[in-house]
Amino acid sequence: MSLLRAVARRVAAGLVVLWAAATAAYLALLAAPGNTVDSIVGDGADTPQIRAQIVTEWGLDRPPVVQYLDYLWRLAGGDLGRSYLLQRPVAEVIGEQLAPTATLAVAAAGLGVLLAVVVAVGTTGRRRRWPRRVSSAAELLLVSTPPFLIGIVLLSVLSFRYGLFPVAGDQGPAALVLPTLTLALPIAGLLAQVLRDGLDRALDEPFVLTARARGVRERAVLLRHALRHALLPTVTLAGWLFGVLLGGAVVVEQVFGRPGLGQVTLSAVTSKDMPVVLAVVTLSAAVYVLVNTAADLTCLLVDPRLRRS
Amino acid sequence: MPVRPLRTLAVAAVLALAGCATATTPAAEAAGRPRPGGALTWAVETEPITLNPHQYAQAKARLLVWNSFESLLTYDAQGRPVPWLATGWQTTPDGLTYTLPLRTGVTFTDGTPFDAAAVKANLDKLREPGYAPAVAAVQLRHLKTVEVVDPHTVRLTLTAPDVLILDFLASPQGAQVSPRSLREARNLKAGGVDVVGTGPFVLDRYVPGQELHYRRNPGYDWAPPTATHTGPAHLDEITYRFLKESAVRVGALTAQQVQLIEGVPATDQPLITGNPRLRLTRELNSGSAYTYYLNVSHAPFDDLRVRQAFREALDVDTVLASVYRDTATRAWSVVSPSSPLYDKRLEGSYGGDTAAANRLLDQAGWTGRDADGYRTRDGRRLTVRLVQAAPYVRDRRDVLAQAVQAAVKQSAGIDLKVSVVDQGTAQQAFDRNEYEVFDNSRADTDAGAALNLLLHSAGGINRTRVADPQLDRLLEAGQAATDPARRAESYAALQQRVVAGQALALPLYAPADQIAASTAVGGVRFEPTAGVPASAYDLWIAR
Repeated sequence: MSLLRAVARRVAAGLVVLWAAATAAYLALLAAPGNTVDSIVGDGADTPQIRAQIVTEWGLDRPPVVQYLDYLWRLAGGDLGRSYLLQRPVAEVIGEQLAPTATLAVAAAGLGVLLAVVVAVGTTGRRRRWPRRVSSAAELLLVSTPPFLIGIVLLSVLSFRYGLFPVAGDQGPAALVLPTLTLALPIAGLLAQVLRDGLDRALDEPFVLTARARGVRERAVLLRHALRHALLPTVTLAGWLFGVLLGGAVVVEQVFGRPGLGQVTLSAVTSKDMPVVLAVVTLSAAVYVLVNTAADLTCLLVDPRLRRS
Repeated sequence: MPVRPLRTLAVAAVLALAGCATATTPAAEAAGRPRPGGALTWAVETEPITLNPHQYAQAKARLLVWNSFESLLTYDAQGRPVPWLATGWQTTPDGLTYTLPLRTGVTFTDGTPFDAAAVKANLDKLREPGYAPAVAAVQLRHLKTVEVVDPHTVRLTLTAPDVLILDFLASPQGAQVSPRSLREARNLKAGGVDVVGTGPFVLDRYVPGQELHYRRNPGYDWAPPTATHTGPAHLDEITYRFLKESAVRVGALTAQQVQLIEGVPATDQPLITGNPRLRLTRELNSGSAYTYYLNVSHAPFDDLRVRQAFREALDVDTVLASVYRDTATRAWSVVSPSSPLYDKRLEGSYGGDTAAANRLLDQAGWTGRDADGYRTRDGRRLTVRLVQAAPYVRDRRDVLAQAVQAAVKQSAGIDLKVSVVDQGTAQQAFDRNEYEVFDNSRADTDAGAALNLLLHSAGGINRTRVADPQLDRLLEAGQAATDPARRAESYAALQQRVVAGQALALPLYAPADQIAASTAVGGVRFEPTAGVPASAYDLWIAR
């Protein structure tokens, strides 16, 4: 029963976050300089008649409050509206771009986490000073290099020079390799550092001493006991990870000519395509809430101490 | 005669350019004779915001439009309208009626026959409120009625003489869409595979953010006279892949992952020209040149002497050479040098005279100097603001602006403030009249259409804020004159007044398009007059 109540509380909190995100985005776009008519007119011909037509067609003559309430009402009903610029329903625009981005994000997150765990576990321990130094330097380099540059370098070497992977598009697994690497490397870099730090600290704990005294082998100490402790701070980074994936997708999709939400977001923001921007923000908030809830639940799973309180 | 040597130089430059153009012909034969079949991938810079030609607004999307759509007229290399889906046109002496006999035996790719009723359906749709407001309010402003004379003749009646109606009939917005698509398409304004035309290719796949795929229209047999062959297209299929980063496009071409790319910035051109398997071609766009328009509505550019001084303070050739490494073509007029309306007399007639610039500024009272070396008058610095909207910055125009900024500071103590901002902020600066310089180029096929918007006192983007009855008269005369010689005369007088006389505008360079292609690809061409990459109709690929 209490579990049910906890879940209900989470859902309610999630809805509040969603509403706040949608409203904040709406206010930000409203406060930005220039009005919606300008962005619809764009670089094209511009006369008072054209402007008047646009205003009536999009209902922009209604007061902002009415437009806002109307927007919330439609959002509640699952209607994301129509894109001004693309002349298509927003749900359709986003829907068809969701799968490529999701594929990329899941692949990159998976690879990033896997690399981080392998590297951190492989370089923790007293007799591994040199591998550790090398991997620390590499991690720092990856974390501080803009993904744009990583992407271009990977492309130039692995695609243009040696022709191992196709340059662009969403054409099966081969085309996914380079974009995934580009996104995964900085993630792996940061996660590996956090994880190794956690492992180091766990290895200094008394329970490790106890385990060793019981004759547990070093590898088992690391994997069964220390890693579990070290995972906690890493799991709480899931929210950050999601942010990196979304931001990285913008760059990666641009460089690799991949379809996806990143491209949609970028062009919608630069051209002030309000309905698309609002939908992307709301969707991101929804996924963010989901990811964080999942992270909390994972923590419960990993750490039995949290289950008791 | 200090002007003379300069003018000769300009002629030499034109000849050199012509030489370049012919020099590419032998290379084109590297692909052998045209052969049918094969598939090509072309990496393009811009993903179109709409695939419906009536909604067309991006010059960079023009090469896609003519694959699946066609207009009633098109332009030849001399800038004259020539027949396409219409076999010709007759005008009444008052310039108010245009009668167009249509080609017979043409069908849309959904099987609907192309006839006078289809043309009327298109023109009626274009004037429907809320469908294409920009077209209805500008290009079709003078269109009164559309009449089906017989199944293969259509008659347009205008409210005022307007030769630009021919430009509309040759434009993407005037392209003929199947009446069935107009009625039944799911997302008519966005276009897509269910919005079809009469073109040599059929769009059969659109993956947003990734690519467009066309296959050949086997029944096609109505190529315009400007094409190099007749009958169906050579290629079976063509894919346009959207690659927004120029470095990625060039890399994909050198790695042979694509066979053609467009949009090759100056810095990447040596990679193409130094590779024997690749070939670079470029062509100047039509319309108006990339120009700095000076806002005359307030100080300091309300003073003719300051405008002239700004013009003289800048050595355009030096600035272009430093930013574009000699790949840019200098513009001497607001009209592109490739336009038949271009006034050659402006070449070498002004500019780069630093002494004159300083003399003019002294006369205008900007005699003081402040600590930073800028000129002042009554304690106020000679500052002019250039506001660029980031989404529309291309060809490294932001870098060019910085070079201009440094040049005018050094030569005449003018403070050019450059800001690259988002579109809304730029629009706000224009609305509030908080700018002195406006930069723009337009790719209209008829330069008159661009000049109407830019320089007429009622023009939609008249950011010089000039209201000069003489300019308005010249523009209106140019729009009404059916005789090409009389038209050219009007626009020549206009260019003299705008550039030389009133110094309202400082032309910088003529925008160009580049195509880099594998030598295995034949038939790489630019669209005559428009100067943008042509459709895939004439392309073939060597075995």
